[in-house]
Amino acid sequence: MKKLLMMTTLTALASFPLRAQEKLTVPFRDPSMPRQLVVDAMLGAIQVTGYNGQEVIVESTAGTEGPFRGPRGKQTPVPPGMKRIGGNNAGLDVTEENNTVRISTGLWSARSDVKVQVPVQTSVRVKTMTGQQVRIENVNGEIEVENMNGEVNVLNVSGSVVAHSANGKITVSLNNAAIDKPMSFSTMNGDIDVTLPAAMKANLVMKTENGGIFTDFDMQIDSTARAPKVVDNRPKGGRFSIRSDRATHATINGGGPEIQFTSFQGNILIHKK
Amino acid sequence: MTCEETKLLVADYVSGEMEGSDELAYEAHLDSCPSCRAETSRVDMLWKDLALLPREEPGGAVRGRFYDTLRAYRQGMDAVPQRRWPVWQMAAAAALLLVGIAAGYLVRPGREVAELREEVTSMRQLVALSLLQQQSASQRLRGVSWAYRAEPNDTEVLDALVTAVNHDTSVNVRLAAVDALHTFAASPATRRAIVESLPRQNTPLVQVALIDLLVDLKEREGTKELRALTVGDSVNDGVKQRALWALEKLQ
Repeated sequence: MKKLLMMTTLTALASFPLRAQEKLTVPFRDPSMPRQLVVDAMLGAIQVTGYNGQEVIVESTAGTEGPFRGPRGKQTPVPPGMKRIGGNNAGLDVTEENNTVRISTGLWSARSDVKVQVPVQTSVRVKTMTGQQVRIENVNGEIEVENMNGEVNVLNVSGSVVAHSANGKITVSLNNAAIDKPMSFSTMNGDIDVTLPAAMKANLVMKTENGGIFTDFDMQIDSTARAPKVVDNRPKGGRFSIRSDRATHATINGGGPEIQFTSFQGNILIHKK
Repeated sequence: MTCEETKLLVADYVSGEMEGSDELAYEAHLDSCPSCRAETSRVDMLWKDLALLPREEPGGAVRGRFYDTLRAYRQGMDAVPQRRWPVWQMAAAAALLLVGIAAGYLVRPGREVAELREEVTSMRQLVALSLLQQQSASQRLRGVSWAYRAEPNDTEVLDALVTAVNHDTSVNVRLAAVDALHTFAASPATRRAIVESLPRQNTPLVQVALIDLLVDLKEREGTKELRALTVGDSVNDGVKQRALWALEKLQ
């Protein structure tokens, strides 16, 4: 026990400051253990790509290009004849702790596009407010993405994906699904376009308020799940209620872990790979 | 001994858990390698400092959960039969089986079945509660799907779901948790939790899910919160319309 405690203490925090337009290489503490990348950025596009290596390579194009964003994200154009040379903290913070590399930007920092390369076997968690797209490619692990305003593209990956966009489209293409890991895709105003392995076993729960649901899978639609459920608690002094499920339930290849698709305005498209 | 091997063994060395011959080889390497020597003394210092750390005391919830798990485990152990099968025991077992069948006819499912059911329920509760605390969103989604299997009056699972609806970092987990609240709809605590959660949410999809749940449950207590949503400045248009629709439905 004491030894375990010591080993965890040994993997204490390491921090790497990254200034604008710099390229930084961060090693994982223990390459034999599961790796994770966490990106928490307010503005700018984010791209994470798996590559054949052992380290995290971070590139940022943050800096003096484009309009200046002040408090509350207000844009200030660069005055004519002048150029901006600084004044807004454009830096990224990169830390490594217990095999998790964490990249974050300041609350009101200038727009910074971030490009990250990670070993293929890495779990990735990205959270951002940006109106730009988030793109994750060629990784194998647990993937979690939330983009408040922009598109989410998770392409050519394996493992499991949980993705949300408030206003953008979600596109996911999965090569191999992790066994027994639930997944979930949700967007308020965009389409959800997901490509799954042809042999994948799953239970699908699909819900869209104003869109359509389309697929080329041979889906077993479960019509009993849609039938209104009657709950009668009157004998116990409770209420009587009828609940009609708004979701469409179906299985592919006999069923398996649950995948949820939720959109309000958009379509749901489920392709067979 | 190489530097690589030294790195693997440094913990054993400083904790004094090394065999005599290994220890000699290790020290021989230290004599010849300044960097490993420095690393070893650094780890050694850390090892000694660790002894000075105050002991972590588990909080009340951890203690409760531990004893729940222990109890469930013990109940499970008691149910496991001893595995020794000499011939005469077989005969005795057969005789007992007959007595059992006879008793079964006479007694009918009673206490034991109830106990077994209770055990299964508490296992489900444990699985749901522990999965809901995992770091990975996918695991927490699994926790939510286990919550569906809990008893409708299980307040611990209900509390965990409400916490997920209000505080989970993942929108998708919050959405799934709202759906799972249907299971607990009969309880007034659930209805209160839904109404209280409405003004806390700022993700449109979760707001819509909560509104739909209020309509499904024909819960009229939330009209004040719904009205607030229809006039809020920062409220999404789709959510506003949904709230108006809900107010009409609940009239």
